[in-house]
Amino acid sequence: MPLLNDEIAGQVKEQLETLAGPVRLVVFTQTFECEYCAENRQLVEEVANLSDQVTAEVYNFVADKEKAEELEIDKIPAIAVIGAEDYGVRFYGIPAGYEFTSLIHAIQAVAAGEPELSEEGLQALAELADPVHMQVFVTPTCPYCPQSVVLAHQMAIASPMVRADMVEATEFPHLSMKYQVMGVPRTVINETTHVEGAVPEPMLLEKLQEALAGIPEQV
Amino acid sequence: MFDFKLTQPQQEKHPPIDVEQEGQIFDLVIIGGGPAGLTAALYASRARLKTLVLIGSIPGGQPANTDIVENYPGFPDGVGGPELADLFRRQAERFDAQVVQSEATEVDFSSRPFIIRTHTSSYRAYTVIVATGAVPRRMGVPGEDRFYGRGVSFCATCDGFFYRDKKVVVIGGGDSAVAEGIFLTRFAQEVIIVHRRDELRATKIYQERAFANPKIKFVWDTVVEEVLGDQTVTGVRARNVKTGETSIIDSDGVFVYVGMDPKTEVFAGQLELDEWGYIVSTHRQQTNVPGVFVAGDVQDPLYRQVVVAAGTGAIAAMEAEKFLGEYPQSEIDKVVSSSSDHC
Repeated sequence: MPLLNDEIAGQVKEQLETLAGPVRLVVFTQTFECEYCAENRQLVEEVANLSDQVTAEVYNFVADKEKAEELEIDKIPAIAVIGAEDYGVRFYGIPAGYEFTSLIHAIQAVAAGEPELSEEGLQALAELADPVHMQVFVTPTCPYCPQSVVLAHQMAIASPMVRADMVEATEFPHLSMKYQVMGVPRTVINETTHVEGAVPEPMLLEKLQEALAGIPEQV
Repeated sequence: MFDFKLTQPQQEKHPPIDVEQEGQIFDLVIIGGGPAGLTAALYASRARLKTLVLIGSIPGGQPANTDIVENYPGFPDGVGGPELADLFRRQAERFDAQVVQSEATEVDFSSRPFIIRTHTSSYRAYTVIVATGAVPRRMGVPGEDRFYGRGVSFCATCDGFFYRDKKVVVIGGGDSAVAEGIFLTRFAQEVIIVHRRDELRATKIYQERAFANPKIKFVWDTVVEEVLGDQTVTGVRARNVKTGETSIIDSDGVFVYVGMDPKTEVFAGQLELDEWGYIVSTHRQQTNVPGVFVAGDVQDPLYRQVVVAAGTGAIAAMEAEKFLGEYPQSEIDKVVSSSSDHC
């Protein structure tokens, strides 16, 4: 039984028709103790089947430990979306509901390799001296969330210093607890800084710079 | 058990998707992608107007974060809000309305054709329909902003999950407050609806369900004066408006549904607004600027229903079509200058 119905599959096919280059969807999975690993893998394979440019690669999180480490995958279900290079675009938890949009966008974005950000944003990202890790917590029923995920992924594509994860909060309750996620989207930058809500590009950049400058959060 | 939503139409690119669009002029640009804007798009594209819809960042408008819509005709068993939003968009696109996921940041209704700018592009159009809708109103009390995302929420469908087996308060007494309060009982152990009056404004059927739900309690005649907490919300300080007594209601979360405000900042100084910020619709969804029409919650302080928004969207599109027919493009300038003499 396919996860994507004919109608959605048709739309995806259409959107992936004009991909600028090849994209690899690298999936990490595990047979046991992973609630949605099977569905996550199936979803990726179905999407890959809809475009000649998209390929699915499946690894086992335990058996292929080296591969997981190479791609800095630390939990499952996981998808690394890789274009001409690995920009650090990741999905943890199945990108269902509204987040399916973020997955399709990520495929298009890494294929193009040209981030859709403002001149100022690109400039600021080009000047980053330290690594940035953004974790965007979402739920599949949050219509505002893809905006945050897409923006974080764009920034990852723009800068080799930035990597960006979608984290589906309901599948990683321990992380939701750890980062005190009580509302989504919530973006955690380098473990130290939080951003609530779907904020526009300049505000996220500002927070990112605050995180790098080590400015403590006002709580 | 999974559903997959592809809410992404064309991404707006830098430069615009189709460079030739720079030079072209749309018959109609619709600002807003909720029920009003998408219905207008459906009607306009079927009338074969060259139509662009700026659907903003949340395609589908308010239904997109409504669990279930039970009062839109044609769906006897109700329809999921996000699903309805998606159906509206698909129906509009079926007849070739161009949909762009972008928000208008600036408009110039004093020049002809009109100019509509987004973060990345600018568009020109002979007619415009404003359907930007309304956004949740804040209570404006201490703690509300500080705890946003740490216990204060405006979206039960987004954040309900985080309140499993917890206690939440819902502020308000209208449809949204009561319906979302009922929705939250799927997760929360206890839902306390705090309302400033002694009876609900919500539709009777929501009231019946809420009163019958053992997880829901009511605190009447009461307003919230402060959201309390440390790292996260611990409760609210409430005041009884009749007795003046204050009390503290313990709670892990606060869901705010105290009404909506029209989204009209972009149009200040360009369109006539009433004292609450709603766009004034004179007659047949027209604004004070000939060629600019308005539909949906941005002009509707009274009804705010999906079906009403869709209805006004249809009227606005038909009026835009009529306007374009009566005044061919070369004539529009003349019409405008003569009609503005009478303003």
